[in-house]
Amino acid sequence: MLGPLLRRLLPLPLILLAASVVAFALPRLVGGDVTRAVLRARVASDAPDPAVTARVAAELGLDGPVAGQYLRWLGAVLRGDLGIGYVARTPVADQLGSALGVSGLLTGAALALAALVGIPAGVLAARRPGGPLDRALSAAGIAGIAVPEFVLAPWLVLVFAVGAGLFPAIGWGGPEHLVLPVLTLAAYPAALAAQLVRAETIDVLGRDHVRLARAKGLPERRVLWRHAARLALTSVTSLSGMFVAGLLGGAVVVETVFGIPGVGRLLLDAVLARDLPVLQAGTLVLVAVAVVAGMVAEVAQLALDPVAHDREADR
Amino acid sequence: MRRLAGGAGILLLLVVVLPMLLPDPVATDFAAILRPPSAAHPSGTDQLGRDVAARLLVGARLTLGLSAVTVLVTGVVGTAVGLASGYAGGPVGRAVLRLTDLLAALPTVLFGLLAAVVLGPGTVALLIAVTLVGWTPFARQAHQLTVRELGQGYVEGAGALGAARARVLGGHVLRNIARPLVAHACVRFAGTLLTVSGLSFLGLGIQPPSPEWGAMVAEGREFLFAAPHVVLAPSVAVVLVAALALLAGRALGDSVAGRRSPGPRPVVVSRFRRRRQNEGGN
Repeated sequence: MLGPLLRRLLPLPLILLAASVVAFALPRLVGGDVTRAVLRARVASDAPDPAVTARVAAELGLDGPVAGQYLRWLGAVLRGDLGIGYVARTPVADQLGSALGVSGLLTGAALALAALVGIPAGVLAARRPGGPLDRALSAAGIAGIAVPEFVLAPWLVLVFAVGAGLFPAIGWGGPEHLVLPVLTLAAYPAALAAQLVRAETIDVLGRDHVRLARAKGLPERRVLWRHAARLALTSVTSLSGMFVAGLLGGAVVVETVFGIPGVGRLLLDAVLARDLPVLQAGTLVLVAVAVVAGMVAEVAQLALDPVAHDREADR
Repeated sequence: MRRLAGGAGILLLLVVVLPMLLPDPVATDFAAILRPPSAAHPSGTDQLGRDVAARLLVGARLTLGLSAVTVLVTGVVGTAVGLASGYAGGPVGRAVLRLTDLLAALPTVLFGLLAAVVLGPGTVALLIAVTLVGWTPFARQAHQLTVRELGQGYVEGAGALGAARARVLGGHVLRNIARPLVAHACVRFAGTLLTVSGLSFLGLGIQPPSPEWGAMVAEGREFLFAAPHVVLAPSVAVVLVAALALLAGRALGDSVAGRRSPGPRPVVVSRFRRRRQNEGGN
């Protein structure tokens, strides 16, 4: 178990280093004088004093050669200091931390719901491929993928918030604020998980150990859920790793529509306001989350799937 | 295949011919704002009195055209990368797969945001963002398919007959993996369409007053309660086209849920395989 884990851990620092270069360099390609832009936002003067400009540049870490700026920024990041946001003028670490908490809750709830709905749906559909249940679920799956968040969210608001008055249309705080955003976010992963589980379960149902289980006279329900579905779960595990980072930072639409202070919203605002420290830190954190989540998912998949585990040991 | 061509023809008719018959999509009429559907305006008017149906159809050209171009470009690039990395195998192949994994795990919106901050929000930034993300699924698919094909007898045969490496890859392997890749392109078209209109919804893509579908939803959202028809038209259009593309992909044999889907066995290969299996006796 330690071997494959180590092999996956090794390239991690390299990827993160590359990500830090990208995160640092990209916002700097913006062009224009960032110091001036920040100054203009603060003092509303077109021709600020050069001495003031120099001081602000130093404060923002924008003085000296770019390589030096990068090393200083990287050093600070490694010490946990992500800088001060230009706009809010509070530590980026705090802004990002609270946004990550919000997005994490949203992501966790959405993934849990998607798994709760998608996995059983996939297994049930696999029981009789081409049957009425399978066809109904597959139509629902197409809808789950084809209806984007920016369409689903407004209509959910219109029906459940404005029309029925069941849930608040906007805001963040209580559990009632979670319902509509989580529904919106869960649709796509649930549909994908159902399709994947269906395909895998159909595949597994044809394998020898399932035939053996049936020959032993086990009830069909037990064969389906214990013997077949369990193997199919391994592929969903690897899929979930892909979704974590995607939902964590990619829920911009949902966060915008429902007014949720999550990571996506924070990044979108940072882009609109050209808030470099927030953008840099956010990009870096999202890449880190994506890499780590992918790795965890892969290791979990290895642990779940004995065949893949053996294959790995042979390598 | 013929049905697919028929569908594309109807779509083309809708997108090219019909807009000529409808009112100007950016002409405002403040005497008739947020009107429900009527004879003069089959889908009603929006908050500036513009004809929703006309905007929808002109927007189709933007939204669908951009998505089609993106899928074409990313499909060609991704397939080339996947073919090469699948053929190379070993550490190079693994590195390419890791890269596609990493890029696929990052939220597409992040690329949209970064492109918008570097280039300013607009069509160019949008195209770059969707292209940067879009080639990876093709590369992954082409890589896996290529690895599978390389084990086939016909590849060995072509090599034994003295065919050059490029010819084996470009002529033989590519032809055999083309069908699942085209099916995948249909699915990717749906995904790209949703991304393009989603980023435009956020204001990171095509800018108003251009009638892009996502931007139309964003503009009409404020009047959702008073005039739901303004949002309804582009919503239905997006969902309908995406669903049709997904169904087309499924008809061509893509299992949608990308990662480990092997796709259908190519017709040409199966004959070889069957014979080999018979000889092998299992």
